[in-house]
Amino acid sequence: MYDLIGNLWLGMGVAATASNIMLCLIGVLVGTLIGVLPGIGSLATIAMLLPITFGLPPVGALIMLAGIYYGAQYGGSTTSILVNIPGESSSVVTCLDGHEMAKQGRAGPALAIAAIGSFFAGCVATVLVAALGAPLTSVALLFGPAEYFSLMSLGLIFAVVLAKGSVLKALTMILMGLLLSMIGSDLETGAERMTFGIPELSDGIGFVVVGMGVFGFGEILRNLEHTGTLEIVQSRISGLMPTLPDLKAAAGAIGRGTILGSCLGILPGGGAIIASFAAYTFEKRVSKHPERFGRGAIEGVAAPESANNAAAQTSFIPLLTLGIPPNPVMALMVGAMTIHGIVPGPQVMTKQPELFWGMIASMWIGNLMLVVINLPLVGVWVRLLRVPYRHLFPMIVIFCCIGIYSVNNAPFDVTMTAIFAVVGYWLVKHDFEPAPMILGFVLGPLMEENLRRAMLIARGDATVFVTRPISATLLAVAAVMLLLALLPTIRGKREEVFTE
Amino acid sequence: MSDVVPSGGWSRSPDDQRRYDLVSGLVIAVLGLILLAASFLTESPVPLTVRGAVVIFSAVGVAVAAGWLRPQNSQDFYGGMALILLSLTAFVASNELPGMRGIAFGPGTAPRLFAFALAVLSLVVVASGLMARGPHVTPFKVRGIVFILGAILVFAATIRTLGLVIASFACIVVCAAAAEDVRWRETVIWAAILTAFCALLFPYGLNLPFQLWPPFW
Repeated sequence: MYDLIGNLWLGMGVAATASNIMLCLIGVLVGTLIGVLPGIGSLATIAMLLPITFGLPPVGALIMLAGIYYGAQYGGSTTSILVNIPGESSSVVTCLDGHEMAKQGRAGPALAIAAIGSFFAGCVATVLVAALGAPLTSVALLFGPAEYFSLMSLGLIFAVVLAKGSVLKALTMILMGLLLSMIGSDLETGAERMTFGIPELSDGIGFVVVGMGVFGFGEILRNLEHTGTLEIVQSRISGLMPTLPDLKAAAGAIGRGTILGSCLGILPGGGAIIASFAAYTFEKRVSKHPERFGRGAIEGVAAPESANNAAAQTSFIPLLTLGIPPNPVMALMVGAMTIHGIVPGPQVMTKQPELFWGMIASMWIGNLMLVVINLPLVGVWVRLLRVPYRHLFPMIVIFCCIGIYSVNNAPFDVTMTAIFAVVGYWLVKHDFEPAPMILGFVLGPLMEENLRRAMLIARGDATVFVTRPISATLLAVAAVMLLLALLPTIRGKREEVFTE
Repeated sequence: MSDVVPSGGWSRSPDDQRRYDLVSGLVIAVLGLILLAASFLTESPVPLTVRGAVVIFSAVGVAVAAGWLRPQNSQDFYGGMALILLSLTAFVASNELPGMRGIAFGPGTAPRLFAFALAVLSLVVVASGLMARGPHVTPFKVRGIVFILGAILVFAATIRTLGLVIASFACIVVCAAAAEDVRWRETVIWAAILTAFCALLFPYGLNLPFQLWPPFW
């Protein structure tokens, strides 16, 4: 406990310097700005803004990136409430009740409760990250290659189970990601693998290239299919503050949403999207008046918004302690850290405590900023939403192009992104979810390395994965999860959650 | 955004579907034959099983084109076929990489392991696409693909030779043509503004090494 306070104090010292506060503010603002725009997700946002952080010191860069991430998360809910189109996939459920509230002239309280819920969830999650960081890091020291491999398998299985749509197709997506990640030089022997003799491929395909192609450009291609104007709530937004009964009604929902979100965020493969869905469904189930949901119930805004923010933050835990990205956004964070010469994992906390704790403390500061700056800026966001899509997407395209080019100063990377844009669009057209593919792509090299090492240590004995207790447990959990997801009854429930 | 609109549609006339199957089947067959030809170009011989699988793959394409095989769920069937093609390509491409050396993994072990698993699972997807009825693939937006890809490729081709200003401007103008409601006068003005913004932000604001103008100027 004493350690916890001491560590957070150290973090505050780092995060509260003038320059870092500025970076956090810029990150949060820019993140919200882009999050508000419909049709560009947080992954593409971070990828697009990655070059902005190149010239910064590592701590500042990570603080800014984290700010962009939860800013984008928050901006997404603003769009959900005002236009009934989710700015982010994690705020899909917020549309249901949030937009309904806005139509009833209660956009102000809806936005406010989303902000308050997010802030509360952010505070709790920050403490949780700080509290769980140290013990989990010591767990990580017990992990050998076999355990790491099993843990990553578990993460991928989680991603499959929690993804929407067919479990089988999600599994194929993971394998596709793993396979694509094999392209490039072999880490141990240096052999060129599946490069087709193209020298630019010998370093492998960059994560930013795949992520931006599939999510950034791919999403634009999809959005161009259905053109139409957005219907923004026309009624004046008056009275930002929620009333006392509002707060009372939302308090329980915020608490439950926070707990649910925190738990789901830590799980590998989970993340903000599933957390918001789960919180909404749960809230509807425990409510005394479930019929109010979908007609502007304030709990229906409070619960998913708290949950997705909590999950967004706790998903840093596996990344910072075990070095394993639990979702695609965190995978991009790994990319960003690598550019700045930081290897994510347990050693970050022991060797660079100021980086670790500084980032955690900045999350709290960033959440506070979100509450303070966003409510007065609602008018600006509304005006931004009136910009037609034909002006928006050229902007996104050019920023993405420049962003990708500036990672390696390589035109080849830009060309590759075009290919992955088609791949992403094609996958969605055939109802394959690209998110598990990205996760597989990121975890691929790590998984192969640990698999090889584990096999070598065990002298080629593949049973090592089930004879070592921790590894066996992790694999057993993965197997059970997969079986449950394939069982018809659970599958029905799962679909129910996603269709609601 | 992607999560709100389910992809795929149910309505499509039998004629349209027939044409779609014909074209897609032919594409599958041709791609399979190209891969088969490529498998003879590798230095060490590709195993017979892989070549056999490629031949079967092409045969399925022919069968679909000829109408002997009717995919019930186009999304699953063609999606699975594409993934099978990917894994077969991986087998051919990783053919020369050494596999297991005693107890140690070679560089070729993991790619072939993953490719094999992908092929098996994709086969199940294809099978289910032949059996259970499901949604069709909705038409692709060709205009969007052409101009967005065009814009990206224009940028890639010109950034080194002509500098940031010309590359951005060209990219934005090409890209804007992807929208059906494009207005040219507006686009040119908007492109100029965005280009100016990028030319200031990236080299000056963020200190990234960008060449603004063509080097021969």
